[in-house]
Amino acid sequence: MLPASDLPAPLGTDPEGRPYVVRAHELGMSFRTTNERQQTLKGTIAGALRRQKTGRTVNALGGVDFSVAKGSVYGVIGRNGAGKSTLFRLVAGILTPTSGQVAVYGHVTPLLSLGVGFNRELTGRENILLGGLASGLDPQQIVEQYHNILTFADLGEAIHSPMRTYSSGMFARLGFALAVHLDPDILLIDEALSAGDAKFKQRTTDKIAELAESDVTFLLVSHGLEIVRQMADRCLWLEAGLVRSEGPADEVVDAYLANDGVAPVATTAMADL
Amino acid sequence: MKDDLTAVPPTRAERTLTVHAPSASGLPPLRPYARDFWRRRPFMWHLARTELKATHYNTFLGQVWLVLDPLLMAAIYFMLRSVVRPVGSDFDRNRIIAHLITGVMVYRYTSSAMGNGARSITGNSQMVLNTSFPRAIFPVVAVIGVTLEFLPMIVMMLVTQLALGQPFGPALLFLPLVFTILAVFNMGLAMLVAPAMVLFRDTSGFLPYISQSWLYASPVLYTIAEIPPNLLPYLRWNPLFPTFAALEEIFSGQAPSLSNIVFAAIWAALFFVAGTTIFLRTEPDFAARL
Repeated sequence: MLPASDLPAPLGTDPEGRPYVVRAHELGMSFRTTNERQQTLKGTIAGALRRQKTGRTVNALGGVDFSVAKGSVYGVIGRNGAGKSTLFRLVAGILTPTSGQVAVYGHVTPLLSLGVGFNRELTGRENILLGGLASGLDPQQIVEQYHNILTFADLGEAIHSPMRTYSSGMFARLGFALAVHLDPDILLIDEALSAGDAKFKQRTTDKIAELAESDVTFLLVSHGLEIVRQMADRCLWLEAGLVRSEGPADEVVDAYLANDGVAPVATTAMADL
Repeated sequence: MKDDLTAVPPTRAERTLTVHAPSASGLPPLRPYARDFWRRRPFMWHLARTELKATHYNTFLGQVWLVLDPLLMAAIYFMLRSVVRPVGSDFDRNRIIAHLITGVMVYRYTSSAMGNGARSITGNSQMVLNTSFPRAIFPVVAVIGVTLEFLPMIVMMLVTQLALGQPFGPALLFLPLVFTILAVFNMGLAMLVAPAMVLFRDTSGFLPYISQSWLYASPVLYTIAEIPPNLLPYLRWNPLFPTFAALEEIFSGQAPSLSNIVFAAIWAALFFVAGTTIFLRTEPDFAARL
C-alpha cells in the first residue's frame, strides 16, 4: 500500500497531510412539507384552486461545512432532529442537496438505522447476496467474502431463517458484518451499533479501528457519546441544522455534555446500557 | 471466534470522485449513472427473480395461476360478448376465443408493467431511503419481472392457436419483433408512472380506471374489423393500437403491415424517451418525498 501522502488527493489534505475523502461546502437541505402526510393529486388541485401555497419549507440543514480525512473516524452528534440523518443521506447521495455541495472520493457504503435495505421475508443468507449485489459487487466477490461475513455476524443457524424472525441485535450484527466486508472506502454508520450487546460492541469497535488502520474512513452518528469520544478523531456537533462546533472529538463531546447540563459519567452510563 | 484476517478484501475497480450538488440541468450526470446502472445487472436479475418467487411460489396454485387467470378472464369476456352479439359459426367462435385469449394475455403484460412500475419506488421505500444505487433499477426490475411472467404466455398463445385451429405459419416469426417493441413501450410506461406515484400517492387509486378504459379502447375484446368506422380515427391514436393491429395480422396468418410496426416502434420510442427523461429528472426528489 502506498503511504497516505502519495495517494491522489483531489479534495486536498488536512494539516497533517492526510487526503480528505469527504468535503462539504455550505451543504444545505430543505424539505417542503405539507399538512397532509403525503402529497396527493386531490390536495394539489384543491390547493391550486384555493390559490394557496400549501405546506412550508423546513430547513433540515442550513449550510454546513466539514471535511473528513482518509482513514479517520469522524463523529456526528446532536439532538434528535438536528440534521444528522439528513447529513448522512446527503453524503451517501440518497438525498440531493438543495444548496451547496458535498464531494466524496471513493465508494460510500451507508449503514443507516436498523434493518435497512434488507428484505425481511428472505433469509439472512439471501440478504447477504442481495445486499452485496445492491452495493455493486459481482457475485464472485460476495462468495469470496461470504464466510467472513457469516463469521463476523455470528448468527449460527439463524442465518437460514427469514429475517423477520430476527431481533434488532441480530439485524445490527448482520448489517454491520455485511457493510464492513463489502470493500467500503467510506462507511456511514447511523446508530447501527446501539442495538448490539456488549460483546458485539467490542467486536465492532475493534473492527472499526482495524479498518481505519487500513485507510477506511468512518462517519459515525451515535447517541452513545462515549463511543464517539473513544473512537472518533474529530467530531461535528449539529444543532438545528447548523454546525454548533467542530473539532477534536473529546473536546466537542465535552462541550456538548456541558451544554446539556448533564455530567459526562451519567450520560455515558445511560447511553451505553 | 476469530475473523479471517488473512483474506484480502475484494477491490472495486477505481476510486472515483463524486460531487453531490443541486443539478443545473435537472438530470444526473449520465455517464456515471449509466455505469452504476449497468454494473448492477446481477442485482437487477436477482431482485426480479426474488420478487417473482415471493408473489407466485407461496400460493397453492402458484405459477399455474399465472396461466389460468388470463384464460378465465377470456372466458368471462367471451360470455359477455356472446350476450351482446350472438356468435355465428363454430369457426367464428374459435377465432373470437383465440383473439380474446391472446389479447388478454398481451394486454395484461402492459397493465402489469404499469401497476408494478407504479409501485416500484413507493413499495421499496426502505431501500430507496437507505441505499444509493440508481433508482431506475426499480421500475426496470418491475418490468423484468412482468416480462418473465409474460414469456410462458407466449407459449400459451401458440398452444391456443393450434388447439383452436387458427393459422399457424411463418407469420408467427414476427412475434418476437412485436413483443420486443412492446417490452420497450412497457419499460417507458413503468418509468412514467413510477414518479407519478411518488409525487401523488393517489395515483394508485386512478390506475385501475386507466387500465380498464385502456383495455376497452384497445382492440382486445373486439377485432379491428368490428370497430365502427366513425370511431376508428380516434381509436387509432391509442398508443397500443398499432401493436394490437400487428398482432391481429400475425395471428390471422399474415405478415404484419409495415405501418403498424413503424407506428408501434414510434410510440415505444416516445414512451421510452419521455419515461426515462421524466424519471431521471424527478429521481433526486424521491428520497425526500417518501
